[in-house]
Amino acid sequence: MTSALIGASAAAGPASPEGRRPRRVRRTTPHNTLTRGAGLGLGVAMIWFSLLVLIPLTAVIAAAGQGGWSGYFDVLRNDQTWAAVTLTVSQALVVTLVNIVIGSIIAWVLVRDDFWGKRLLDVIIDVPFALPTIVAGLVLLSLYGPNSPLGLHWAFTPNAVTLALAFVTLPFIVRTVQPVLEELEADVEEAAASLGASRATIVRRIILPSLAPAIAAGAALSFARAISEYGSLVLLSGNRPFQTEVVSVRVLTFIENGNNQSAAALASIMLAVALVVIVALDVVQRRVARRG
Amino acid sequence: MSIDVSGVTKKFGDFVALDDVSVSLPTGQLTALLGPSGGGKSTLLRIIAGLDRADTGTVSIEGTDATRLPAQKRNVGFVFQHYAVFKHMTVAKNVAFGLEIRKRPKAEIEHRVDELLKLVHLSQFSHRLPSQLSGGQRQRMALARALAVEPKVLLLDEPFGALDAKVRKELRDWLRRLHDEVHVTTVFVTHDQEEALEVADEIVVINEGRVEQIGSPDQLYDEPANDFVMGFLGEVTQLGDIRLRPHDIEVSATPGSAGALSGRITRLLRVGFEVRLTVSTAGGEVTVVLTRTHARQLGLVEGSHVWLTAASGATTVPAMVAV
Amino acid sequence: MVDVSTPTKWLLRLVAVGYVFFLVAWPVGLVVQQTFSNGLTNLTDALSDEQVIGALQLTLMVALWAVVINLVFGVGISLLLVRFEFPGKRVLSALIDLPLSVSPVVVGLALLLVYNGRDGWIGPAAESRGLQIIFDSPGMIMATCFVALPLIIREVVPVLHEIGDDQEQAARSLGASTRQTFWRITLPSIKWAVVYGVVLSLARSLGEFGAVKIVSGNITGQTQTATLVVEAKYQNFQQETAYATSFLLIVVSIAALVVVAFLRPKRAH
Repeated sequence: MTSALIGASAAAGPASPEGRRPRRVRRTTPHNTLTRGAGLGLGVAMIWFSLLVLIPLTAVIAAAGQGGWSGYFDVLRNDQTWAAVTLTVSQALVVTLVNIVIGSIIAWVLVRDDFWGKRLLDVIIDVPFALPTIVAGLVLLSLYGPNSPLGLHWAFTPNAVTLALAFVTLPFIVRTVQPVLEELEADVEEAAASLGASRATIVRRIILPSLAPAIAAGAALSFARAISEYGSLVLLSGNRPFQTEVVSVRVLTFIENGNNQSAAALASIMLAVALVVIVALDVVQRRVARRG
Repeated sequence: MSIDVSGVTKKFGDFVALDDVSVSLPTGQLTALLGPSGGGKSTLLRIIAGLDRADTGTVSIEGTDATRLPAQKRNVGFVFQHYAVFKHMTVAKNVAFGLEIRKRPKAEIEHRVDELLKLVHLSQFSHRLPSQLSGGQRQRMALARALAVEPKVLLLDEPFGALDAKVRKELRDWLRRLHDEVHVTTVFVTHDQEEALEVADEIVVINEGRVEQIGSPDQLYDEPANDFVMGFLGEVTQLGDIRLRPHDIEVSATPGSAGALSGRITRLLRVGFEVRLTVSTAGGEVTVVLTRTHARQLGLVEGSHVWLTAASGATTVPAMVAV
Repeated sequence: MVDVSTPTKWLLRLVAVGYVFFLVAWPVGLVVQQTFSNGLTNLTDALSDEQVIGALQLTLMVALWAVVINLVFGVGISLLLVRFEFPGKRVLSALIDLPLSVSPVVVGLALLLVYNGRDGWIGPAAESRGLQIIFDSPGMIMATCFVALPLIIREVVPVLHEIGDDQEQAARSLGASTRQTFWRITLPSIKWAVVYGVVLSLARSLGEFGAVKIVSGNITGQTQTATLVVEAKYQNFQQETAYATSFLLIVVSIAALVVVAFLRPKRAH
């Protein structure tokens, strides 16, 4: 019977490597399988990558290091900079929390619900990714600025920062959770139901734990993006020191004042956060891969 | 009767999955729902479990009407073809799930989980994640999970369908032995007639949303209700105006008995201990199976002239009128 | 599947649609509306403003260069990462994603530190050979390349993994050279991934603001891109022009989204 054969071969695929997984030995010295042409290509690519990314980022760290630890300390001790750091971090946290809740809900609605206009909603979610950040700021000003049809005057207030960060980070959790939710097998939920679990219990004990890694990954990306945001805030927040000035704007002010060392010190802290996020994502993804 | 299904109809859009199906499944038995893919057998199982709702008809389990009862309240164990493991929980946690939902005391849960893991031979894997188990082990875990809540009935949907042939056969024997030990009313869906014949006490043959026949494996094999059942349970060939199994045809090298159909061997194939003949007759091609020894005795080769008759006591059904 | 009760379903639907409506749909709609508040005048005025025209041309030039460079680099790196083993591969593949999480302002600063003509690491040497990078288009192209770097790679790598190298080996066993294998087997099978990558990169490149602002020096009429014009015009109280230019950028980015949404095949279940 053909279906039996297909079933058997499909099961043989995933089953055998999984059986081996716990005992898998990591290769200590990776093979080098480059051909001459590929080696040349890699060389050229690495030169370009170094000129574009590695050397410039190293320069940031080098410039930051010129002032030593005291350089860092002086930068952060500046009241205005410290205010910018706390504002940025706290707003990024708030927005990430909002995204965790709303992003998961939107992903749920996109996958499990069906209604007229759902496809449109799906496309609109990506608008913040595609829109130039300066335009994003302008767009938000139209509804929340001085001429707001809602009568809200959030421009130049901390609310404006929240708004801008929420706008640019909207897609992250939606887009990481959505595919995982799509892949969740219906029979797992049915199994839980036949074992007596209520809807709420299934969501809490089966669905949410399965989505947790995706939510964590999306949250990390959303946080990283939020603390590095610049363009959407330019027109919207007014960059008022101690009130709406974020870290990126501080860095830019240092650059414009020719204070590259302070700019680099602050920038290197932002870089470190970006690195932490990348490493955290890698760890989460490895964990999920092991879960199978 | 443990499970009574009566007058159940289920449509998916225009497709009629079940058409006025009524079956009664006795307590304590191991019943197979057998039929080709897409014939409605899985739908019937899911309706019994409460995972699908019937459009019309009723389902009662152990005498109580379950037609409107949600899956959560039916107390049935369900085992899925693709295991449906809870990936983020250990093997022990998977098995404990139903008991935790029922808020049983911790000590009792632990004890019961130990017992069940022993029953399915997975004790040493209790702290592993399901991804570290093979397919067969995962399915045994799923079975332990379903049994943990002491269900009134155990329902298995193509439980061995995703496993390779060898594991499949092992698990099949093991399921039979397990049933003899646990005695819970069990219904399993399969499209593999060998599996059904080997394991089940009773077989329900379902095709195109209808029940074709209900009976013990012997009844089905020896007294098929119709051409479909006969064809589905084993190979069938047509000799004149009857249909019968290829090994129920007697071959002779001389035109002895009356009513024998004459023909010429166009193909002779030796497969292990048996010899398969394709005989070209006036009424079309007939397939015949006989033992190697018998074929040698008759001195059969390709091109030989032979005379075919139905063996006495052969199971036959009249051939349907050719379309 | 858990089917949620009807009130919950409506509540979730309302939250999702409401949030997206107030945060994205309505504001974008308002900008479009304001662009056309005086009929087509805003648009035609903007399109006859030399500052806008120049910026649009510059933006297009910078974006095209950046996309072409990222296309060659992206497809090459994807092939190297998927089809070959070499020391440092994992580190490289992690570093490739770095530009997505680096602030545009930090990107600008980083390029400035290396390529400025006064005290940069490489800038003075380049300038003495007649190549000005910072405050000129090479720097702007580099900044744009940096921010859009991973987009093509992220689309192509999974597809390369998925198709495996069976077909390529089959082609080679039939006598195809490396080049023939690439053009006839590999490229056709990653074609759509490359197209999505290019469309996403183009949208990102046309819209880059922060990094370009720093490396370009934002010199009116010379190194001012479309996004920088939006800022300048808005702050100069020429809001109609800012809206009209924004509208053009919105149209491009939404067109990119629609193209990708239509081209990307539905995920098979």
